[in-house]
Amino acid sequence: MNEPILKLDRVTKRFSGHVAVRELSLEVPKGGIFGLLGPNGAGKTTTLRMIMNIIVPDEGKVVLFEGRKSGRGYSDRIGFLPEERGLYKKMKVVDHLAFLGETKGMKRKVAVHKAKEWLERLGLHDWTAKKVEDLSKGMQQKVQFIGTLLHDPELVILDEPFSGLDPVNSEVMEGVVVEIARSGRTVMFSTHNMEQAEKMCDRVVIIARGTKALDGSLSEVKEGYGKRNIALTFGSGGGGKAARVLQDRTLVSTLNDSGSSAELELAPGASSQKLLRSLVDAGVELLRFEVVNPSLRSIFIAKVGAEAATPVASEARNA
Amino acid sequence: MHKLWAVIRREFQTRVQSKAFVISTILGPLLMGFLMVMPILMASRETRSKRVVVIDGAGGNFGQSLERELSEARRGNGPDAQPRYEVIRIPAQGRVKAVQDSLVPLTGLARDTVHRLDGLLIATDSAVETGVVKYLGDNVGSPSDMGMLENFTQNVILTERLQRRGVDPVVVREASGRINLVTSKISEGRLTGESGAASFALAYAMAFILYLALLIYGIQVMTSVLEEKSNRIMEVLASSLTPFQLMAGKVVGVGAVGLLQLGIWVGTAMFLSHNAVAIAGFFHMPPESAAQMPLPAISVDLLIVFLSFFTVGFFLFAAAYAAVGAMCNTMQEAQQYSTAVTLLVAVSFFSIFSLLNDPNGSLARVFSLIPFFAPIVMPVRYSLTSIPLYEVALSFAITVLGLLGVAWIAGRIYRVGILMYGKKPSLKEVFHWVRTS
Repeated sequence: MNEPILKLDRVTKRFSGHVAVRELSLEVPKGGIFGLLGPNGAGKTTTLRMIMNIIVPDEGKVVLFEGRKSGRGYSDRIGFLPEERGLYKKMKVVDHLAFLGETKGMKRKVAVHKAKEWLERLGLHDWTAKKVEDLSKGMQQKVQFIGTLLHDPELVILDEPFSGLDPVNSEVMEGVVVEIARSGRTVMFSTHNMEQAEKMCDRVVIIARGTKALDGSLSEVKEGYGKRNIALTFGSGGGGKAARVLQDRTLVSTLNDSGSSAELELAPGASSQKLLRSLVDAGVELLRFEVVNPSLRSIFIAKVGAEAATPVASEARNA
Repeated sequence: MHKLWAVIRREFQTRVQSKAFVISTILGPLLMGFLMVMPILMASRETRSKRVVVIDGAGGNFGQSLERELSEARRGNGPDAQPRYEVIRIPAQGRVKAVQDSLVPLTGLARDTVHRLDGLLIATDSAVETGVVKYLGDNVGSPSDMGMLENFTQNVILTERLQRRGVDPVVVREASGRINLVTSKISEGRLTGESGAASFALAYAMAFILYLALLIYGIQVMTSVLEEKSNRIMEVLASSLTPFQLMAGKVVGVGAVGLLQLGIWVGTAMFLSHNAVAIAGFFHMPPESAAQMPLPAISVDLLIVFLSFFTVGFFLFAAAYAAVGAMCNTMQEAQQYSTAVTLLVAVSFFSIFSLLNDPNGSLARVFSLIPFFAPIVMPVRYSLTSIPLYEVALSFAITVLGLLGVAWIAGRIYRVGILMYGKKPSLKEVFHWVRTS
């Protein structure tokens, strides 16, 4: 692992009575894409806000670029896209971007030039001189995205960057994120979408209810979990017949049942052969039976339990 | 510094480019010019003499004297001034009531302007004795017309009474000549050439402009903080700008807009008053009428006092309004909390009415030493009377200290408030922010 560009050391944040983040430690190495995963209300946004020094941790330390300054002190080297996004509605797109660039220490001229380049690249060229309020929601989100990247930050922190985007635009943004990472910069983004994280991230940290549940590179995480997972796809009506077999605790320890397909972890002592035989005996029609690397989702559910995926009421508000 | 400048520029630019700013900036001088020219234009248009019938039921010369006095009255004082009244005297001894009844139907006609009568003045002996004079007319609602008429009648009755007691009419005429108090303001041991009425008008206008500007621009600061909070841009800003940069940038940016607008207005006022004669000529009015225009000359030192107190006062109130905006989530909440700030501005404005009577009284002096009141009170006092320099300096210093104090507290509220969403904080919580943040 490279030297960490960001380090959290036993960081804790409490909000009027409950703990939003509890003794969270993590390291983000330089380069690549880092995923901060967790269900709604897990403390992702609070963590990112603490990294940016928008809120101050009650305990623990945030170290950026191995330096002493806080998130705002390094803000010229960081691009931050918060979950709660907003723009000045009455400003022209290009003026707005120039202003955002200036708040990152860019010269106005340079910022205008860069803004135009990005607008061109993301297909918003015609909207340069339009007011922000004339843009659709998706376009505004792109403008915010540009505002985050305008000053070529070394570290890009994105809070739920793809939520609310249609698949086409989501694809475009994903492409940009991957490209940034390829050019040697570091991207850290939070998401509750495990599939997306699995597709993009080099390293992940999963948090639930403010505490870390899992930490490591994607391959480490999966290998550490062993190849004891089986992915199934049923033929018509197979799911119902299989249900009784899959409930058997001597065969299956955890189950992620999606109806017509399922992913499960074998119980200790059980073998894939035994499971296959039981399913065939039960008359289940199988389209797929495969020993796989566990998916991030199943690892997550196995690790923190399904109930952690739903936050308790008091935590949801400050998510 | 570069970032602070960016914030200031954004605030300034978006405001100055807005339609509201352009319209109000242009409307101000237009309104000023209108107020300046209209009264005189209106007065000079009113050239028609009032046709008044004196119904003479009195013995002696009372009726004739009244007729002469009224006929001699002129509108204005030039050589070509129009007579104020066209007087018809009808002798009516013993039948005053009958004459009056016959003339009432001819008075105040709207259509027939040739034969119309404007009013009936009834001269009787009892009027001379009791001083109760009857006038019937369609202009009785006009205080200036009635005041004028009362003056003329008063003179005639005075003369008539003295003559009836045997005083020489020549002596009476001399003794009852009018007096006229001509006022002129002295400041710092020098004549300013400003009339009392003009310096009053100036003081009042200044108080009003300060009051309006503090409120309008202060509340603009508050709403724009609220807007940043509610459209959630605050978080992007807060990640790259310090709360100080955000608040100072906003306050200075909005303040610069206010100063620009005031500058345009005051500049126009000065231009208009310097060119009053030319303007009068443009409207074909005699040059003397320029003196009647309600626009006083503004001296340079007064302008400096005015602008510096406005600037400091604006920063003080704007910081307070910014803190209120940061505390709240909705306009309704903000209106509740901002009342406290608005009240301070209002109190200093309404204190002006007692200051105008006694600009060096103890109330005036105490108010000039309270940071919340000084920004309005001091320039007004300065325009009314001469104030020692040390007193102005002291007042300014205290206001600056007040500004620093308010800015410190407001900054702490702002820092916490801008990222607080959800329920509005209680005063206890706000106090906690100030102590701990």
